[in-house]
Amino acid sequence: MRVLVVEDDAALRDQICEALRGEGYVAEAAADGEQGLYMAQEYPIDLAIVDLGLPKVTGIDLIKRLRKGTGSSTGPRSVPVLILTARDGWQNKVEGLEAGADDYLVKPFQTQELLARARALLRRAGGWASAKLVSGQIELDTTAKSLKVGERAVDLTSYEYRVLEYLLTNAGKVISKSELSEHLYAEEDERDSNVIEVFIRRLRLKIDPEATMNPITTLRGSGYRWDLPRA
Amino acid sequence: MFSLRLRLLLATSLTLAFFLVLGGLSLDRAFNASAEQSQMERMQAISYALLGGAEPNEYGELSFADDKLPDTRLQQPQSGLEAALFGESAGLLWGSPSLGDDIPTPANQPVGQWRFERVGQRFVLVFGLSYVGDGGAARQYSLMLAEDTALYDSQMKIYRRTLLLWLGGGSAVLLLLQGAVMRWSLRPLRRLVRELGDIEAGQRERIEGVYPQELRSLTEGLNAMIVNERSQQGRYRNALGDLAHSLKTPLAVLHGIAERPLNAQNLTEQHKLLQEQVSRMGHIVQHQLKRAATVGTRTLAEPTAIRPLVEKITGALTKVYHSRQMAFTIDIAPTLKLRADSGDLYELIGNLLDNACKYGQSRIAIAASRDRWQVTITVDDDGPGFPEEALPLLERGIRADTRHEGQGLGLGAVKDIVDAYQGQLKLEKSPLGGGRVIVRFAA
Repeated sequence: MRVLVVEDDAALRDQICEALRGEGYVAEAAADGEQGLYMAQEYPIDLAIVDLGLPKVTGIDLIKRLRKGTGSSTGPRSVPVLILTARDGWQNKVEGLEAGADDYLVKPFQTQELLARARALLRRAGGWASAKLVSGQIELDTTAKSLKVGERAVDLTSYEYRVLEYLLTNAGKVISKSELSEHLYAEEDERDSNVIEVFIRRLRLKIDPEATMNPITTLRGSGYRWDLPRA
Repeated sequence: MFSLRLRLLLATSLTLAFFLVLGGLSLDRAFNASAEQSQMERMQAISYALLGGAEPNEYGELSFADDKLPDTRLQQPQSGLEAALFGESAGLLWGSPSLGDDIPTPANQPVGQWRFERVGQRFVLVFGLSYVGDGGAARQYSLMLAEDTALYDSQMKIYRRTLLLWLGGGSAVLLLLQGAVMRWSLRPLRRLVRELGDIEAGQRERIEGVYPQELRSLTEGLNAMIVNERSQQGRYRNALGDLAHSLKTPLAVLHGIAERPLNAQNLTEQHKLLQEQVSRMGHIVQHQLKRAATVGTRTLAEPTAIRPLVEKITGALTKVYHSRQMAFTIDIAPTLKLRADSGDLYELIGNLLDNACKYGQSRIAIAASRDRWQVTITVDDDGPGFPEEALPLLERGIRADTRHEGQGLGLGAVKDIVDAYQGQLKLEKSPLGGGRVIVRFAA
């Protein structure tokens, strides 16, 4: 999952990015509203964390333009937005949420709280209500980052977990290899689509060693799809 | 302090009374003088007529024949008109039959001169004359004519009564007219007072009426003051917001540093201390800034419509509590306005509803209504309700900055705002099964 952090305070921005990376997200950072808006419009992000008090373009304007698609080649975007605000008045919160944000967090906040909100928004965007993504016998706990298949606990590497979380969050949708790598790797990482194939193969083996459930369907030329029904 | 109306009424009434008394007196004087003048002239005419019939008697003295008197009243006793002739030595030479006993004896009157005066109940006219009889010697006489004042007095009485009646009626009409003029002149002031009252009551945002030139600078000044007060409030809020931003961002960083070893086993004592202190600072900053931002009662506060604000907040909360599918019921008339700062109202209702969302299951109801005295806002939820000790806790007014998140009821901020408006906060059991918060403000 790729998360954009738009925050003008360098220390806080680095801190948030670091915490996100620690959770296995790909974190992108922007220092002002203008850059933030550009990245939110042009980058394949899954979530934007936006400070309201930004230089150049305010957080509110950023969200409004993102939702409207003003000056963007990709048109309006519905990517979930979490606002960070120091002005904890309700008028500000309401204004931010009315502009198109999905949730707010008041500064100062605890990192765990920020991560929980981020997880919830990502889940919500995929149509999941609970922190546990359950599909068939597969149960992925996004808080504990653990996987159970039936009663069996399955150990996943960080990258395997990210691939599975992305597929499962977007269950039913076709996800191309390039989309997967865009959402899983940071800009500067070496991308190799063969690696994705390796992860998918390993996931299939770990989840479904007997090949009885076939949760991940390969669509030749277009990508992968999680095909088990959501619980 | 007298009211303007009373001052004007008093001043004009006193002026009116002064001029009426003055006018009445001079009219009375003038009438009196002219009546006396005509009385004298009438008596002079009788004197001339009397003298016309004068003849010398056998002693050579001037005398009048009783049957040739010019006015029949002179012949009747007690008729009120008397005539007498006095000689040089002031002896009574002749008296008309009507002459009474109590007639005063006049001093010698110089020849050819009249004297007219009022003596007791009589007007007395004395004329000095000299008569040259057959003997050639001139004798001096004083002819006196007296007339009872009764007729004159009764005429005067009638005149005065009429005068009083007209003057009194006139002043009554004038006073009424004056009252009407004053009402009309003071009407813009009364309207201004009413408009100000409306602004105070939150029914109006500014003074809108068209006023006479004399009041225009006042109304413009008032409007400017109202706008200024409101924008100043906005600037103050913004400054506080900036302060909050510049304080809280570094606090958030500190928070992050304090939390860095994410698993609890690695927490050193210093980390724990740092975490505690940072979180305490955060709470203090939050609480004090919130309190500073609370405007509280202002005389010329802009009225805020409650319903649109509630709809905005429930819309926002629906997003925030997306996964819980909260159902909000709003029972508030669209026209209902409260004389409170909109920022304060946002805080109040935002906190109340957020609290209800936190503790409630799925149903939240908010209602607001106004009666003659107060505006009542009620928020219900279907959660577990408030603990027994909640109310005394609130009433004791415990310091919200000493409370940690989750420890209180989340009503500290609400209580601060309600206090700032001298309102009432009550906690009850809700018909929905959970807690009910009732907030009352003076209307």
